[in-house]
Amino acid sequence: MKAEGALSVALIGNPNTGKTSLFNILTGLHQHVGNYAGVTVEKKTGTWNLPGGGKVNLIDLPGTYNLNAASLDERVAVDVLAGHSSDAAPPDLIIVVVDVENLRRNLYLASQASELGVPMVIALNCWDVAERKGLQIDSKLLEQRLGVPVVPTVARTRRGTGALAEAVTRALENRPMLVRPRWPEAVTDSLTDLRRELVEERGEVLREGELQRLLFDRYSAVAERLQTPTKERDTILRNAREKLHRGGYQPDAAESLLRYRFLNPLLNDILERQAAMKKRSTSESIDQLLLHRVWGLLVFVGMMYVVFQSVYTWAGPFMDLIANGVTWLGESVGNVLTTTPILQSLVVDGVIGGVGAFLIFLPQILVLFFFIALLEETGYMARAAFLMDKLFSWSGLNGKSFVPLLSSFACAIPGILATRTISDPKARCITILIAPLMSCSARLPVYLLLIGAFIEPVYGASIAGLTLFAMHFIGVFLAGPIAWLLHRTLPRSVSSQPFVMELPHYRVPQIKRIAHRLYESGSEFIVRAGTIICAMTIVIWALLYFPRPPELAESVRASASIELQEPSAAAVENRINAAYLKQSYMGRFGHTVQPIFDPAGYDWKITVGVLASFPAREIIISTLGITYALGGEVDEGSDDLRSALTKAEWESGPRAGTPVFNIPVALSIMVFFALCMQCGATIAVIAKELHWGWAIGSFIGLTALAWVAAVLTYQIGMWIPA
Amino acid sequence: MRLDLIKKDGVYRVQKMDSGNPCIARLMTMGLLPEQELRLTHEAPLGDPIAIEFNGCQMSLRLEDAALIEVEAL
Repeated sequence: MKAEGALSVALIGNPNTGKTSLFNILTGLHQHVGNYAGVTVEKKTGTWNLPGGGKVNLIDLPGTYNLNAASLDERVAVDVLAGHSSDAAPPDLIIVVVDVENLRRNLYLASQASELGVPMVIALNCWDVAERKGLQIDSKLLEQRLGVPVVPTVARTRRGTGALAEAVTRALENRPMLVRPRWPEAVTDSLTDLRRELVEERGEVLREGELQRLLFDRYSAVAERLQTPTKERDTILRNAREKLHRGGYQPDAAESLLRYRFLNPLLNDILERQAAMKKRSTSESIDQLLLHRVWGLLVFVGMMYVVFQSVYTWAGPFMDLIANGVTWLGESVGNVLTTTPILQSLVVDGVIGGVGAFLIFLPQILVLFFFIALLEETGYMARAAFLMDKLFSWSGLNGKSFVPLLSSFACAIPGILATRTISDPKARCITILIAPLMSCSARLPVYLLLIGAFIEPVYGASIAGLTLFAMHFIGVFLAGPIAWLLHRTLPRSVSSQPFVMELPHYRVPQIKRIAHRLYESGSEFIVRAGTIICAMTIVIWALLYFPRPPELAESVRASASIELQEPSAAAVENRINAAYLKQSYMGRFGHTVQPIFDPAGYDWKITVGVLASFPAREIIISTLGITYALGGEVDEGSDDLRSALTKAEWESGPRAGTPVFNIPVALSIMVFFALCMQCGATIAVIAKELHWGWAIGSFIGLTALAWVAAVLTYQIGMWIPA
Repeated sequence: MRLDLIKKDGVYRVQKMDSGNPCIARLMTMGLLPEQELRLTHEAPLGDPIAIEFNGCQMSLRLEDAALIEVEAL
């Protein structure tokens, strides 16, 4: 991505300032943008073509309120700005994206960044909102006082990007620096001590701004990067902080007090008009309802219910459309390939049947992602965290865990990555470990298939919706006690960070952005279907198809002619298929392992499905699709998997002749999938974010939990009279 | 009086705060300093956390942290 020798420019700013939108506009690259504090957790880069023909490498840093480097996000920001990240060189320029409505707080970050000695340009973003609210800020006056270019922008409508490009082009030449506070003697003396002891005597490479971080922040991640032995380093830092304290400044409060004391006189008259603004903002009025102790909760629960209900009802017609398309395709391709039975089976039963069974769920995935995007873009997610915080606090988590966990309902991987915004390492670890318990969208197909086949026909659509809702919450209910146990057993982290969270202003969501996010997740789903799912499908088809000795067909044909009065060609064909399936590699393996899953009510076919879906849980659908297609149950009359399942019967044993699937079995399978960690990608991400030990431990733990819960569900279900 | 004990919405002024607590230190970097005026705006369903507004931004904080902030009514 990075052009050789190109200048680099870093974008920093508070969360919710529209920084990422600006990044997207300037670079033309797209990325995920939300309205929740700190959704940008990864460093993103792109090329920005300046109007003068120059190219710069633009780096989008995580949204942070300050550079105190307590959370991973803040640490990334300090490291990049100081030139200690993997890219080595510090940026040539910083663009600070500032929300006009929170000028003071936003400029605090700018002021901290200026200490790192990098030239700066300020983008006053959300200018339109400020204008609408009657907030007028004299950007020319601000520019004079701060000593750096100040450009009003509106990231949404691209307003001001031309002026920003010009300002940046000029600033790369004349390198303007933001005015810096004149620190009192107590501070400069302590900084001198630090410089002498760390830089001069021990050869550490530290800029002025980094020395300040070491002095002002009790738990600075900058300290972790030093080469000096920990004990020695801590003594040096403690002495410097004590000196500051003796000089009359409480070290934890010194920077905030002094820096705001410096900024306030620069801003006070500029901000005067802001004080005259009406006391209660629109967001606050909306919150009177949405954060109300009774109505707020009801709205929250109602909203969640509507989300899951819509997933079920809205998508129906589109799913039928896809299902019919898949059937039609299977039949037409099947007719072409009648001369080569192996190829016909591979293409029709394997690829089209398996991948098609998976693709059917695209509409529902899109509906779910639509709602998650909508809640994030409007700013409601932070409110949800506010409402839910108390429920989390007893288990050692906080409301900040809520968004990563809610994202995990779409997919645990972005959820786990989103935990980087949690500054408390222990809370972060616990959140990662329980994230796989949130019912991700890959489980959705399993629920939909089984609910559609067994719950809906008996109890109707509203109970079906409720079951779907319950399946999504079973993991949540178990996650609480598990988090509590982990909270009790894990050692307390040194820099435990309590829960402070901004409730950003509500925003009208941008259709374009939501559409783009849907497009991204939709195409990801289709690519997944075309690659991993397709490949796994072929492997599983092969394991279910081979070996195929011709003499087996003969013996089945012979016995059928004796047992059946008038053997129809189709009935004989079905028997042959079933016999082949039973003695296939996967069939034999399934029979061997089936006793383990017998207490949960699974026959060997379900066992095969469960085992095959450990790499990725959605494989169960295509596996069942192939199993029943190969077994001959799916014929022209009953072309879908649902009816094949309802017709399946036990082949042998005490339950021979009774249906395999009843409501307890269906529930037991759903519970197993709701709890088990059948996702190779999640295991890899946990290993990357925490440690391999945690990844393996959570895999074993969750699998055991899933088995126990599935067995309990089946046994209790069978005990209750129908 | 302590911020966590206030039950009524309204405008208050910060008198004293314990900057040794990381949560308070964080709020201070956001501009919540002694002498700053704030408004109590919302309470979560179980009374905890609470939301306060200062300088045009709304922050949520837990009662245990609010207990470290002394305010006076205005």
